[in-house]
Amino acid sequence: MIEQVKSRTFPGNYKSLERISEFIIQEAQNIEFSPSEVYAIQTAVDEACANIIDHAYGGENLGQIEIQVQKFKEGIKITLQDNGDPFNPDDIPSPDISSPLEIRKERGLGIFFMQKLMDEVIFSFSQSGTNKLKLIKYRGD
Amino acid sequence: MEFIITELKHCDLVEIHGRIDSYTAPRIKEAINALVSDGHCNLVIDFTKVTFISSSGILALVNAQKKCMLNNSGRIIISSIPKLVYSGFELAGFDQLFEFYDDAATAVGSF
Repeated sequence: MIEQVKSRTFPGNYKSLERISEFIIQEAQNIEFSPSEVYAIQTAVDEACANIIDHAYGGENLGQIEIQVQKFKEGIKITLQDNGDPFNPDDIPSPDISSPLEIRKERGLGIFFMQKLMDEVIFSFSQSGTNKLKLIKYRGD
Repeated sequence: MEFIITELKHCDLVEIHGRIDSYTAPRIKEAINALVSDGHCNLVIDFTKVTFISSSGILALVNAQKKCMLNNSGRIIISSIPKLVYSGFELAGFDQLFEFYDDAATAVGSF
């Protein structure tokens, strides 16, 4: 059962990332995630927002990022919404972190971080042009 | 985010304060690239006061390290990194690319 929902909207620029982190840290700490879990959630959301600015909007100040936080008994669900270009996350190859440095491709690190740090990462794209990313983390993993 | 660069006898010490994210990483990248271009490839980056690093911040340091290694002109080492901040390097598989020291004085002494 969902206990609380909180929404905030931020300008789609890199300067917003610190305020977004502060918002997320406060919400995650309120439901007693451990410091490493809070840091993991902070990282995943930061990577998601940077990806929205870089890839969905293709630059800064071209749209907004709406963030909805739903806290429930077992954890937290964070939904990020933007109106930029949709993209297929399956088209982004995962980085091969075991490959030699000289030939290693660095694309896809943001999505890789999200998938490693959160329990669920769900992208959805609507016909009306709204992109949603749901990030879910359960406590005590 | 702020940083202080101190030129020492055998290396440069770069103390970074605050977050390293997509907003601040370009400034750090620019400062480190300027040092490397000037032949200052022996760098200690002190992370004592770094509270967060994103993948863009990690990549800024990785690319600088690659440049130093390519020219065989020096190396970037990291000191006093908080455990949670270190976890990003580990997750990305870049923990083997840098030497990590517990304190800046020992890191500086390694050059």
